[in-house]
Amino acid sequence: MEHSSSETSEKTFTCQLCGLSSSYSYYGQKPPNTRAIVLLEECFVTKDPFNPDREKFLVLGSTCSLCSLCVCAGSDCSLFYTKRFCMQCVNKHLDQFPHQIQSELAKKKQSSKAAVS
Amino acid sequence: MDRDRRRDRRSWDWDSPQCRAQLDEVFFRRHDYIQAGSQEHRDFWSFFDRFQRFKTKREMAGGRQEDGGGQGKTVKVDLGLPKEYDARYRINVSVCTRDVEERLGKSEHRSRQSSSGPGEQEISDLRLALLHFLDFTQRQSFGKLAKLRREQKNLPIYQYRDRIVELVRSHPVVVVAGDTGCGKSTQVPQYLLSAGFTHIACTQPRRIACISLAKRVSFESLNQYGSKVGYQIRFEGTRTPATKLLFLTEGLLLRQIQQDLTLSQHQVLIVDEVHERHLHCDFLLGVLRTLVAERPDLRLILMSATINIKLFSDYFSSAPVLQVPGRLFPIQVIYQPIPSEEQPTRTEKLDPRPFLRILQGIDQRYPPEERGDLLLFLSGVAEISTIQEACQVYATHTSRWIVLPLHSTLSLAQQDKVFDISPPGVRKCIISTNIAETSVTIDGVRFVADSGKVKEMSFDPKAKMQRLQEFWISRASSEQRKGRAGRTGPGVCYRLYAESDYDAFAPYPVPEIHRVALDSLILQMKSMSLGDPLSFVFIDPPPAASIQTAVTYLKEQGALDGTGELTSIGKLLAQLPVDVVIGKMLVLGSLFNLVEPVLTVAAALSVQSPFLRSSQHNPDCATARQPLHSNQGDPFTLLSTFNAWVEVKKERGGGSRKWCRRRGLEEQRLYEMVNLRRQFKELLRSHGLLESENRDASAGDRGQRRERLTERRKLHQMKRDHEKQENSKRKVLRLEEGQDGEMSSGSDTEERGRGKKDKEGPGQNVDIQEVKFKLRHNITELQDAVTVSADMSSRQQALLKLLLCRGLYPQLALPDEHNSTRKDSEQVFHTKNKQGVVIHPTSVFAIDPEVLHVPEDDSREGPDRGDSSRHQLLAFVTLLETNRPYLSNCVRVPALQALLLVANSVDSNADCTRLVVDGWLEVELRDAEEALKVLSTVLTHRAEWERLLRVKLEQNTVEGALGQGVSRRVLEKLSEGLVRFLLYTEVTYSLRRLAAFQIQNLYVGPQPESELSRDLKPLFPGAEAKPHPIKGGLRVSSFFTYNCLADSRDLYSECLRTFWTCPNCDLYMPLTPLERMQHEASCRPAGEQQQQQEEEPEDKKPGPSSMSSLNRVYHCDVCDEDLTLTSTEILKHKRQHMYSTK
Ligand SMILES: [Zn+2]
Ligand SMILES: [Zn+2]
Repeated sequence: MEHSSSETSEKTFTCQLCGLSSSYSYYGQKPPNTRAIVLLEECFVTKDPFNPDREKFLVLGSTCSLCSLCVCAGSDCSLFYTKRFCMQCVNKHLDQFPHQIQSELAKKKQSSKAAVS
Repeated sequence: MDRDRRRDRRSWDWDSPQCRAQLDEVFFRRHDYIQAGSQEHRDFWSFFDRFQRFKTKREMAGGRQEDGGGQGKTVKVDLGLPKEYDARYRINVSVCTRDVEERLGKSEHRSRQSSSGPGEQEISDLRLALLHFLDFTQRQSFGKLAKLRREQKNLPIYQYRDRIVELVRSHPVVVVAGDTGCGKSTQVPQYLLSAGFTHIACTQPRRIACISLAKRVSFESLNQYGSKVGYQIRFEGTRTPATKLLFLTEGLLLRQIQQDLTLSQHQVLIVDEVHERHLHCDFLLGVLRTLVAERPDLRLILMSATINIKLFSDYFSSAPVLQVPGRLFPIQVIYQPIPSEEQPTRTEKLDPRPFLRILQGIDQRYPPEERGDLLLFLSGVAEISTIQEACQVYATHTSRWIVLPLHSTLSLAQQDKVFDISPPGVRKCIISTNIAETSVTIDGVRFVADSGKVKEMSFDPKAKMQRLQEFWISRASSEQRKGRAGRTGPGVCYRLYAESDYDAFAPYPVPEIHRVALDSLILQMKSMSLGDPLSFVFIDPPPAASIQTAVTYLKEQGALDGTGELTSIGKLLAQLPVDVVIGKMLVLGSLFNLVEPVLTVAAALSVQSPFLRSSQHNPDCATARQPLHSNQGDPFTLLSTFNAWVEVKKERGGGSRKWCRRRGLEEQRLYEMVNLRRQFKELLRSHGLLESENRDASAGDRGQRRERLTERRKLHQMKRDHEKQENSKRKVLRLEEGQDGEMSSGSDTEERGRGKKDKEGPGQNVDIQEVKFKLRHNITELQDAVTVSADMSSRQQALLKLLLCRGLYPQLALPDEHNSTRKDSEQVFHTKNKQGVVIHPTSVFAIDPEVLHVPEDDSREGPDRGDSSRHQLLAFVTLLETNRPYLSNCVRVPALQALLLVANSVDSNADCTRLVVDGWLEVELRDAEEALKVLSTVLTHRAEWERLLRVKLEQNTVEGALGQGVSRRVLEKLSEGLVRFLLYTEVTYSLRRLAAFQIQNLYVGPQPESELSRDLKPLFPGAEAKPHPIKGGLRVSSFFTYNCLADSRDLYSECLRTFWTCPNCDLYMPLTPLERMQHEASCRPAGEQQQQQEEEPEDKKPGPSSMSSLNRVYHCDVCDEDLTLTSTEILKHKRQHMYSTK
């Protein structure tokens, strides 16, 4: 079983912002064996490698709803707020996001700066 | 609506299990993504509680405020984002359970009043929580993945990724050289995997590394729960047909090559840590060198530290080298040579002052808040305990150190402590042998103190003895030790020697192949048909003398024949992954009905002793151990210990842990023994030396089977749970740790044991070893097997001793004749090649040496002092010189009987009253009559033993041979005969070592072939008696040469003839001893001859002792006629002429 699944899953997802790459086994909104669960965007999905249950999925990333950049789900690369936005687009249109998100991003920027210096 | 909600809430209780169960019916059904009862389900509900608390808190803090803020802004609805912020919009998942909700809704309407089921509000509360939970788990897993990828990218080797793949694609052999921390061991296999290579095998010098690397790499390649990455070591493995990358030991890969010379199961071979130059690795490289030439599709990657790279590249016709920088932080080197007044002398203990100064220096220079532990390298265990003691005093005084020893003879629990964390403000001081140089990696080390010394095993071929000696380390080792200080941050390395010393060190350590006995290596080479070991192209050829010694030894052991080819037993021994002596025991044991005890003993002698050295001086342990001791010898003590342990396991399961602790036993070794024992059993079975087990016995009825299945499932679950927990955090050490020192390490009292358990927490209570044991072994079967060996009669015991002795031969030691007048601690023994050896203090004979003395009343009997019928010898497993040459694992055997039954060479004088065994032991028998009787018994028994062994060994070459080649009756007769000989031979004799001058003039030397000796030849059925070309005299059998000793009288002198009546036939005539033995060897009681005829079926080839073979063609010169006669008949015939001519 494992053999066949790993044979077919040699497609690779690569984040165009941070370069994170990993093989994915499904692209779409309804990963296999997820029953009542539906994704609200088309995602690159793989089996969650950190969960012993082989039916658990992990969303690696998706495409930015504005610029179609392929981005990972990491908070440095993208943000989901009803839709997926890459960080470049978020920053471009920051004023349109609710202030909760704005202040959150500002806080993060500060702390990452502090970590660098 | 509001009122409704309130009413519902009254009857709805989130904390009630019933209420939760109702929601489980909606969201966590059997086919849902998360199912009730699963781990995720439990995780969800605890998440739910936290989530609700968080919500309540936010509501109380006035959550409305947020919304207001959001609304206050003027928004360009360009992106189409909702105006009001909701955390829910940040989740890219939705859950639909409409079907169930609708159903529930209907039933709710029907019985609204009495219903306490979930209302819409509850459903939506739960849905929201679930969404957040799913988002949370997604973030969690993604975070792990991102961290993993980040770490991989940060490794120095990462930038060489494509280059490595490219090199491997274009070259059959590639050398990757990189220092500690560059990531080669974990990354290179992954690069190849993701480049599309499969069937990759990666060898490691250490078993433990195979396991940990497989674990790490499967995690990193996101296959933690799959079997794409596996390992295979001696007893266990995780390999499946889906495995693409396999970590295995060098030894195991060699075994695979032995079975399939083309190694077709692998396409890529990575040989890691080649610079360590282990025996197996050097040999493996030699074999692979040929294989690469034969298999152009094979890819070989050698991985090494950045030392001596050219050697490896050149060996594989200038293979390309890729050098990767390591990732080490800067390390400051401080040379602090030991002043001459503190230099250790040969006899004195190590002076601790130089080491204490380092601890003090660290305390003075570095504030305790700056973390960082000290790793101190010493040469050996004795040195470690000396320094540990001194450091502990300092540690107790300052409360700033926890002192921990680290060496391989410690209990595993004790070894494991070095990984625990010290409390704040306290440093660990780990005092270690060179085990921490490569094998064990401890994080958090900032300071290294290097004594510059190492104890290494070397082999002295002249004395056939291993020697553990102290040496200066090499510059490579020195750098390696230093590097241990810079793994996690900048460090300091104190060298307790001068820079000029360092410069004078050898560049590299001496490769193992130059230091150790090569017996097993040569045996393996022979079985792989690699031709003359002397002409094999090793990367660094061992000394020719070393190879020669091994060949001679293997010949002595009977594994090689005179021409250096494998004998049938040798072929088998080459297949067994054990020492030649242990392998021999197994084969011998399978012949007699002593398989079970022999399996146990062989396993016990192949692992480290379970008896912890440190508990030897603990009186409680000593008392508790007492019943396990056997004064027959250490193998018997091990046997009874193992048997007792199995009994305890049967009765108390995991309670065996406590049982072991009380007796100062390392239970891990017993687990190793039981595993090895099983492996031996399987090996014997696969070689046809053991019948396959009766499966019915373990089947039971269906109910029992189901029960067992359920039990197994439970055990598997426990094992998985344990593996999940294994990555949990390290324990924090107590400041008093170390203070109780080594003494109580393995022998924790019950109280301490309990305390430990508490510390580990409830989840850790599972004894994983016990779980694995239960999964691997059927305790009832094991107990049956053990019962066989536990209830051994003295006769079986005698036979077992003989088998052990024959296995261990020529490793025999003679007690010094003056031992009975010496103190217990000064008992001396002699081997053929080494005089004045002593018994290791752990041996049972060190505690009870009197059982080896010749009984006094007995020795007074003879005319000479030293005459007795009860001399004994020791057969031993190892002779190792540390500060003295020590014998370990000894068993005592009756001297004369054992020697005659196992020795390769027995020489006699004319009346057989003087025997010389293997050219070093002299036996003088008082009574010629008895001497003859003993010898002819031996000749008969040995011939029969050899014959049966040959049949047994040959039977397994023809696959599926019908029935047993050796009938039980024949076998029983032989063992009966052997036992009787061992136990009831009451012959008085003296036993001594030959002096050097005696050895020089031992033999009469070659004699001109006389007419008579030609006549004697046909008298021997089977063996040919011909003059020995060197010793002189007559070679009667492969081991016995008659009348070759220099004091011998004329072989045919009539005065040696005495009248003798054969008990089997009617023969009565004057015979020389030789003639008499010859007659006895061929003459069997009438009944027995018939029996034998019946036993040998007609279709079978006639055995050497069957009737037909007794007939020989004899040419009588007097009659001038060819006669077909048995040897007795020939004798009679000749005698007839003799008397007539007289
Ligand atoms: Zn990214
Ligand atoms: Zn974008």
